[in-house]
Amino acid sequence: MTFTVIGHCPRTGRLGIGIATFSITVGMYCNGVKSRTGVTISQAFVNQSNNALVLRLLEQGFSPEAVMAQLAANDPDHEYRQIGIIDRDGRAVGYTGPKTRGWSGHKVGPGYVACGNGLVGSHVVEAIADGFMAEPDADLEHRLLLGIEAGRAAGGQGTKQRGKTERSAALVVYSRYTYADIDLRVDLHESAIEELRRIWLEYKKFEDFYRDRSRNPRTAVPQEVFAARLRAAAEATP
Amino acid sequence: MTYSIIARCPRTDRLGIGITTYSIAVGGRSEGIRANAGICKTQAFTNRANDPIAVDLLAQGYTPDYVMRALAENDSDHEYRQIAILDRDGNAAAHTGSGTRSWSGHRIGDGFVAFGNVLAGAQVVEAIADGFAFDPAAPLEFRLLAALEAGRDAGGQVGGEGHLTERSAAIRVVAHPDYPDIDVRVDLHPQALTELRRVLQEFKLYEVFYRERGRKPREAITQDEFVARLEKTRAEGRV
Repeated sequence: MTFTVIGHCPRTGRLGIGIATFSITVGMYCNGVKSRTGVTISQAFVNQSNNALVLRLLEQGFSPEAVMAQLAANDPDHEYRQIGIIDRDGRAVGYTGPKTRGWSGHKVGPGYVACGNGLVGSHVVEAIADGFMAEPDADLEHRLLLGIEAGRAAGGQGTKQRGKTERSAALVVYSRYTYADIDLRVDLHESAIEELRRIWLEYKKFEDFYRDRSRNPRTAVPQEVFAARLRAAAEATP
Repeated sequence: MTYSIIARCPRTDRLGIGITTYSIAVGGRSEGIRANAGICKTQAFTNRANDPIAVDLLAQGYTPDYVMRALAENDSDHEYRQIAILDRDGNAAAHTGSGTRSWSGHRIGDGFVAFGNVLAGAQVVEAIADGFAFDPAAPLEFRLLAALEAGRDAGGQVGGEGHLTERSAAIRVVAHPDYPDIDVRVDLHPQALTELRRVLQEFKLYEVFYRERGRKPREAITQDEFVARLEKTRAEGRV
């Protein structure tokens, strides 16, 4: 009972994950992104060792297909896993083990893998893909968020009889640095995707400030001053 | 306007970070922790490149003191940074640059560093250290949380008009695997530390279930069933 899109931005080479689920603190499992290397997610019955292994193999130059084959060979319970892998060139591969629960499946497209399990139906994964592809020129984090929002709007997790709320969600994007561009999380909330969008919209106001004060500390204003300017600007806008 | 603790559990060798601040999503800037290597946390006017460099150097076997010198030589604005480094054995180094905003400072203890900037005063860092020392038998994640809560209760961070609220907070703990043991966050909340305790306590109820269903999927019950059992236990007042 999780739905996810991992993506590669063809304009910028950025790599990222958008994910939402009933389980709490799902962002904890989103450690499979590395600049100029690739992005991967393991879900359903998660093999937590997979992400680090995948990134090391991609770094060595293995193709996503070859990496997936190695994961299968390395794991006696591979059929319980759901996995997506994209390399730095946007080559993508997905796997949904036959033992994952509920409706489960994935869709692989140009620079993305949309995948989910415990979903109300295949249209959820189609909707995630459509959401991700809706604005191909937008920033990757925006596209990832649109993907999971579209998945939720199409019914998200649960069964046809009974839907299931998203309690946690995460949005992670790397560009060319050793640290994340965007790394936002909602760990326990009754409508985690809405809360993730709220945090992202608020974070965007601070994003340049946080970056610039680090790079140019000698000229940085205090954060409370910056926040006061934001409030004043908001009040001045009718 | 951030206060933090990095620490090693002497019983288990686990390593952990606890942090809270006014800034949004501070947990997204706390990647400087690696199993069997060590921890580095840079704050104040954060140089984001520092923590990954430091952890790589620790993994290669350099000492925290050496790593700190390497960071200093690599950064023309080092005096604006606040940095704490801990290796896998609990050896520590700390730096509070003269360009950080007062009150700022750190305290190095046995296997930990408590540090912060734009705080109500030195008593905040002392309280963090005392909070960490309070229950040495507790799991590291709860010791880190107790430390942050003690820092908050001692006045925490300040802004132009007194106490500045904590809007984000995070606790991350690694054991020996190359994925986190504990990784809980609050990214934007009016009482981030209170919310972090709620999230951590709830996570602890699921922790074993989440780990075991991945390791032994053939025996795993559904999460629906797990939640039903958990809520029954909770309703009976046994949680």
